[in-house]
Amino acid sequence: MKLSSIINKDCSKAAVLFNSKKRILEYVSELTHEQLPHLEQHDVLSALMSREKLGSTGIGKGIAIPHGRMQGIEQVFAMILVSKKSVPFDAIDNRPVDIFVALIVPEGDNQQHLKTLAAIAESLKDKEFCKQLRHASNDTELYSIIKAQD
Amino acid sequence: MCYEDTFLIQNKCGLHARAATVLAQLAIKFDAKITLYQDDREAAGDSVLALLLLESSQGKYVRIKCEGPDAQSALNAIGTLIEQKFHEQE
Repeated sequence: MKLSSIINKDCSKAAVLFNSKKRILEYVSELTHEQLPHLEQHDVLSALMSREKLGSTGIGKGIAIPHGRMQGIEQVFAMILVSKKSVPFDAIDNRPVDIFVALIVPEGDNQQHLKTLAAIAESLKDKEFCKQLRHASNDTELYSIIKAQD
Repeated sequence: MCYEDTFLIQNKCGLHARAATVLAQLAIKFDAKITLYQDDREAAGDSVLALLLLESSQGKYVRIKCEGPDAQSALNAIGTLIEQKFHEQE
């Protein structure tokens, strides 16, 4: 299972430009509300912020997996944002982050959540793939790169 | 020096992102090569991406091998972290 199995075209955003962790999380919550209008933006933001308070989701190598658990969804909702500039994210290796795979996860389903995380890791362990993601100049190109990894 | 042991993943969420990050942060502190094995997969202890690929859920057994000057203390510390459910409530 790879990234393409959980991310659709409307949730692939290339060359975004934000300069803080808070702004990234706000954008993720805006995008979630846009795609899943029954989820309130502030609830999504609150879930994402709560998770970051437990420890940064910056897992190293310029990658972060911000996520939050929400009621009212049946399956994981995922998006990818690639930032033009790296953003300080308190990551494990102290490196700023420019690839964000954000997840809104249904409450409870731990097994599925581990599978989703493994799918993300499977894709992002490929350095060449990450390089291509970073060089995508628009959303369509970003999504094509993700699809091409299958 | 080389030490290894097997540990049961006890926390409800398994080796999810937070748990994997805490484990990697701990692994980095030791002068030891730390490798985790589960089924036919293996992961470097200091790589969150690699740890997530193990997909270790509650009830799975993970074998940990530590090599190097700090091998024994690394194995003890990581084993304790797993047994303490990564400091999670359930």
